[in-house]
Amino acid sequence: MKPFDFIQPATIDAAILALAEYSPNVRILNGGTDCLVELKHVAQSPGVVIDVSRLQGLKGIEIVDAGLRIGAGVTHTEIMADPLIKEHVPAMIDAAHTVGAVQTRNLGTLGGNLVTCVPSMDSGPTLLALDADVTILGAKGTRQSSLTDFFVAPRKTSLEPDELLLEIIIPKENLGKPASFIKFGLRKGQALALVNAASALWVEGNKFKDVRIALGAVAPVVIRASKAEALLEGQSVSEGLIQEAAKIAVGEAKPIDDFRASKEYRNDLIEVGTRRTLQAALGASNIQS
Amino acid sequence: MTDVTLIVNGETKTASVPPETTLLKMLREDLNYTGSKLGCDVGDCGACTVLVDGLAVNACLMLAGQAEGKEILTIEGLSTLEKYHPIQKAFEDVAALQCGFCGPGMIMTTKALIDQDEDVTRQNIKDALSGNLCRCTGYTKIIEGVIDAYQEITGKKLPEIKPRAA
Amino acid sequence: MADEVKVADKTETVESLRKIDDNLRLPSVPEKRVFPKEIDVSAARMQTPAVGQRATRPDGRMHGLGQTKYIDDMFFPGMIHAKIKRAGIAHAKIKSIDVSEAEKMPGVMATLIGSEIPVNSFGPSLQDQPLLADDVVRHAGDGVAAVAAVTEQQALDALEKIKIVYEELPNVFDPVEAMKDDAYKIHNNESNIYASKTIMKGDVEKGFADSDFIFERTFTTQMVEHVPMEPHASIGEWDANGRVTLHSSLGRITLGRADISRTLEMPINRIRIIATVVGGNFGGKNEITTEPIVALLSKKTGRPVKCVFTREDEFISSTTRHPFVMEYKTGMSKEGKIMARKVRLICDGGAYCSWSETTLGKACILSAGPYNIENLHVDAYAVYTTKTMTGAMRGFGAPQVCFAYESHMDDMAAELGIEPLEIRLKNAFNEGSASPTGQVLEAVVVKDSLEMATERFGWKEWRK
Repeated sequence: MKPFDFIQPATIDAAILALAEYSPNVRILNGGTDCLVELKHVAQSPGVVIDVSRLQGLKGIEIVDAGLRIGAGVTHTEIMADPLIKEHVPAMIDAAHTVGAVQTRNLGTLGGNLVTCVPSMDSGPTLLALDADVTILGAKGTRQSSLTDFFVAPRKTSLEPDELLLEIIIPKENLGKPASFIKFGLRKGQALALVNAASALWVEGNKFKDVRIALGAVAPVVIRASKAEALLEGQSVSEGLIQEAAKIAVGEAKPIDDFRASKEYRNDLIEVGTRRTLQAALGASNIQS
Repeated sequence: MTDVTLIVNGETKTASVPPETTLLKMLREDLNYTGSKLGCDVGDCGACTVLVDGLAVNACLMLAGQAEGKEILTIEGLSTLEKYHPIQKAFEDVAALQCGFCGPGMIMTTKALIDQDEDVTRQNIKDALSGNLCRCTGYTKIIEGVIDAYQEITGKKLPEIKPRAA
Repeated sequence: MADEVKVADKTETVESLRKIDDNLRLPSVPEKRVFPKEIDVSAARMQTPAVGQRATRPDGRMHGLGQTKYIDDMFFPGMIHAKIKRAGIAHAKIKSIDVSEAEKMPGVMATLIGSEIPVNSFGPSLQDQPLLADDVVRHAGDGVAAVAAVTEQQALDALEKIKIVYEELPNVFDPVEAMKDDAYKIHNNESNIYASKTIMKGDVEKGFADSDFIFERTFTTQMVEHVPMEPHASIGEWDANGRVTLHSSLGRITLGRADISRTLEMPINRIRIIATVVGGNFGGKNEITTEPIVALLSKKTGRPVKCVFTREDEFISSTTRHPFVMEYKTGMSKEGKIMARKVRLICDGGAYCSWSETTLGKACILSAGPYNIENLHVDAYAVYTTKTMTGAMRGFGAPQVCFAYESHMDDMAAELGIEPLEIRLKNAFNEGSASPTGQVLEAVVVKDSLEMATERFGWKEWRK
């Protein structure tokens, strides 16, 4: 790695001050499973690296007024073992389980996965399907953003160079919403997603309500399949409709064609993934009622 | 240069390293714990797996400074003069290690798995080892070794796999 | 006297040897990082070797304890690190190499380019591969210069300062294209074909004429990298007496020593190679890679020099498995008996010969499969392309042709409506069958093993 200066602030405020002082020649380091791989291959030193992995303010999973708060520094392993997540958003456990391998999940954080903002991120689709918001802290204060606005382009979020992702909030009304996540990769561990899909929905009076379908690795950022959602919204629950929605979802994505998989194959996976997650979410809602 | 103090295998160790030093490099080059191997340097192969506060991590993806003050367990810390560690014994007995390069990582991941104190199935083992690559492709033997070690340490039996109906 | 040795005596001897061994080794390791005292020799080690017994490995305990020393685990006083600059361009003439900026970088102690190597070529059958390309780059992973510096990072940083001016040459990536007369000649030879083999047995044309059906298909396989867990590594030390000691992960040290002696223009008795435990070879560590380079860098600096490939080096510059293009034409009788077979093998050798000739020979002999074929004609060619060179890898050409002839067999079985097992049993070698090159085979168990294997994994039930 190219030489850099290393700062370990003791508090979030100190981290923000350091960010303001050194930005833009600064990198925030938490789990490091993406960040260090990148730093090992950059041509230029990042200047300053700020280690936020010890900040207690970025930790913790708790119920707050707005909903379920997950600190940006919570690791995937912590998500998998957390009772609140298990109770309110179990689909997140499935999503966390598909990240890398044990070693990656022990270090890698939810916030890091979102900030790196690669199209194939495994945490994005479930959170998008649950209308998650993020809280961002900067020198000028905190601001809220929806996750949809947070993702801008591959490896680019709406974070300014002097800002820090603080927490992820799943709105109160979506806690317990039946949801499901599926990942298709070339192998089960350590594989980048070919296609990620997540769905969440309520069923009221045997009608679909607030349907959300999110797809990963099929467009520059994680996207919502809004036409497919619209098809289901307010309609009577039927298997045929789910199959039709899955077909429509294919048209909303623009998957790439590369050595991992062809475009055609990815398109097939989008259909299968959308269908299976919708079915699973529906199944979960049946169990609830 | 920054001074980094680690508790490696129960002993406090300090070294002065540049900030960009990874935990792996510090362990291997500054503290001479060469049991953890550098295979890919990007967290894919798991040959550098060590336990940091009981959790299996890729030492190549952690800065030494991030591990300051933490308890590190490396492959050298398992067996003592008096006791051969059951995982290492199991791996030896089933000949799980061929070239041996992936071995320390495999064994440390296995240690983390067994330490979790949960009931383990063959699928759990495969899942836990998915971040450790073996190019001699001795996975069958490695999984046998993990099963033997698990049964020896916990006294539990792994659920039997039913033979496929003819 | 030998037959009087009883098994019990023998095991005791093994055990006592083992104990002496451990006693010798104990004090050599530092305090608290030692071998457990109270371990018995595992049961399996005391048994006489026999099929069906659980076997252990003599080095298994060292591996498990993390005490095995691979190259990268060795550190010598004053040791410095070498890294190699890769061309990053598939085919080009080198107009100039300027290392002056790199030499001024902090920590850099020496640089090395191809023209400084006494004999800059090596290879097991054709000496067509440079250690560091000095004239023409023939694949993107070709090394062009090396730097030795105090730390690995300093060496890597210095590589970025090396200035090389290239004049691009045409790329030849497709082996079939490379065989054509008008293809660019990668090694300035008359043709890009550098090895060819032919096997002719019986009369193929007559065989085809007698066949009821003719099947034709072309099969291709891809390049495969060995990816040993331990990257290629070596440490070289040139001493004051003009002798070289090399620690190397080389799998064939004797052959390597001869190659090193040739490249350094040095009597072989002045070169000492210490083979260390190899962290995975699979055929990929059968040739010298960095050994003469670290030796020369050590000569320049007076320091031990270590060079460990990065994972990237490993993928782009070490040898790989040959991609093959295999054209099969087989004549069959109605009953499913192979009457004649014509095979054309094109082996994509990459930029340099390496072990291609050997691979080609083996592929050629095995291309008919374990089947009795009276009329056979095999033509095989190894061809240069501007890709990573291909060399030895597990099977030496056998897996490629096996994929082809077995797939071909399945195709034909399906087409003729014959059961896949049946068609193989009908054609497989018997005791005393002759191989395509005329070797009379003894102890042939193809049919027995086919039958036993299919029975064990429930082939017949599965077919229902």
